[in-house]
Amino acid sequence: MSNIEIGLWSFPVLLVLLFLRVPIGPAMALIGFGGTWLVTGTPMMTLSQLKNLTFGTFANYSLSIIPLFLLMGQFATISGMSRGLFKAAEAWLGHLKGGIAMAAVGACAGFGSICGSSLATAATMGQVALPELRRYGYSGRLATGALAAGGTLGILIPPSVVLVIYAILTEQNIAKLFVAAMIPGLLAAFGYMVTIAIMVRIQDGGGQVLDRQPILARFKALIAVWPVLTIFLVVVGGIYLGVFTPTEAAAIGAAGTAIVALVSGQLGWTNTAEAILGTAKSTGMIFMIILGASLFNNFLALTQLPQNTAQWVGAQGFSPWFVLAVVLVLYLVFGCIMDSLSMILLTVPIFYPIMAGLDFGMAPDDFGLWFGILVLIVVEVGLITPPVGMNLFIINALAKDTPISETFRGTLPFVIADLVRVVILTLLPALTLGLVWAIY
Amino acid sequence: MYAFLDKTAGFLARTTALIGGIVLLLLVAMTCLSITGRSLSFIGLNQIKGDFELMELGVGFVIFSFLPWAQYSGGHARVDLFATVMPLWMNRLADVASDLLLLAIAVIVGWRLWLGMLDKKSYGETTFILQWPVWEAYLSGLLGMSVFVIVALFCTLRSTRSLLGGTP
Repeated sequence: MSNIEIGLWSFPVLLVLLFLRVPIGPAMALIGFGGTWLVTGTPMMTLSQLKNLTFGTFANYSLSIIPLFLLMGQFATISGMSRGLFKAAEAWLGHLKGGIAMAAVGACAGFGSICGSSLATAATMGQVALPELRRYGYSGRLATGALAAGGTLGILIPPSVVLVIYAILTEQNIAKLFVAAMIPGLLAAFGYMVTIAIMVRIQDGGGQVLDRQPILARFKALIAVWPVLTIFLVVVGGIYLGVFTPTEAAAIGAAGTAIVALVSGQLGWTNTAEAILGTAKSTGMIFMIILGASLFNNFLALTQLPQNTAQWVGAQGFSPWFVLAVVLVLYLVFGCIMDSLSMILLTVPIFYPIMAGLDFGMAPDDFGLWFGILVLIVVEVGLITPPVGMNLFIINALAKDTPISETFRGTLPFVIADLVRVVILTLLPALTLGLVWAIY
Repeated sequence: MYAFLDKTAGFLARTTALIGGIVLLLLVAMTCLSITGRSLSFIGLNQIKGDFELMELGVGFVIFSFLPWAQYSGGHARVDLFATVMPLWMNRLADVASDLLLLAIAVIVGWRLWLGMLDKKSYGETTFILQWPVWEAYLSGLLGMSVFVIVALFCTLRSTRSLLGGTP
């Protein structure tokens, strides 16, 4: 078997392992180890890499942002800010038809601005908003669908753990990526609200409509969430302005959300320990995947498969847009079975060189940002598509009286909204890049 | 006996993670102090010397100490596409195989980290700014790795027990 063949065969073997429920990170590590052994004829290459690879991966300044952002999200979850956000969004949107569901989406967007994880956003906002939506008479289908979709705003709106990983893999500027994600993130929230407006008219799952609030009361409700706004502005603004590094910003964000939790009296020993253990669980999982992915990618680089694939695709004379469409569809399909972070770590080292070699008529840096945002969106769709969309299960577990099939059906319109958004952002790169050009 | 082992492994994993978490909180505080110092440079304060290095080495320790808990609490991401289709014994067999794989990874990574530490010690390599011996940082990672090996051993026992028809 030639090296390239070994590289090619590694993918079906990896998939079989994954389908047999071997955890993703360890599975990639195993294939990386075994594959390198096959190519070089000895296990020594990986073994000697491992003397420094693990430590080098874990003690890495750029990657240290990950546990910090996760900790920030954990503190945000226990701080009680989710309720204030929901009340504020309700004051602005509650008088519209379907307005309370829209408020739930708006609150998810707000929470997403201080939390980089979709699952945490879905779980936190679900706990607050779901009982309210049911109380106002929203159908289980619409309520769970809107919240599952709203949860994905946790990752779509910066800060975002997946974007950080993408930035490190492709050597993009994290600050610029966060700026690039802003408009698409807001567009996502807006798109979900429009979806709700349409659904309550054609399907009638909507509930009670609240009285229109006077402007003064609206601003009062908004002012009540000033800690969220402040933390977001300091963290993201500080990165943009170069006042501090992204890692420092994440530390400040963690401190900020911790202070809010402390002031609201939620930061006792039990909650703090829970926050730490929650951070530990996600961090351990993510770094196991990062370690596995780096072994796997070292192996692939050894087989020269990525380089050869990139050359082959370049030589075929495909239209760049056709290749982009194929890649995005692949992400959509795999997103249905794999979590977004693993998928990014597994595929970006292969797809990025291919895509960067094609001519989309934009500067290489711009392309890197734009492609990153598109990938981010398509992998997040996987969170709300059956059979393994985690957000669906998190929200459904909170809604005891709603069967999971209702949640699947309720999310479908939001999946369509996602797809429409991907097409729009693909055809109009300026939507993603405009803000970057304006700021930098 | 099993209950005792479960308790011990859980306690070890939890305590190690909490120690890591406290270090992470200290790193957060250190960073905030350092930035405050840096922004007050006009009154003669300054950033903490080597704050980037502290963060880097500190988070290294933190992540090693988080691994046992991620394993004990079943935190590793998997593809559950066929979980409902596969019969129970197959799911449990997959659990045993996965735990064995994690045990192998824990042992190999820990062993190589140990050798890496010996290398760093013999070169006398230090960090750039703080002149901190790098091998000590490797040693700090070995704490988490040792607990990881113990916890991974227990998890293998745990899943083997469910496969053989013990309590789920």
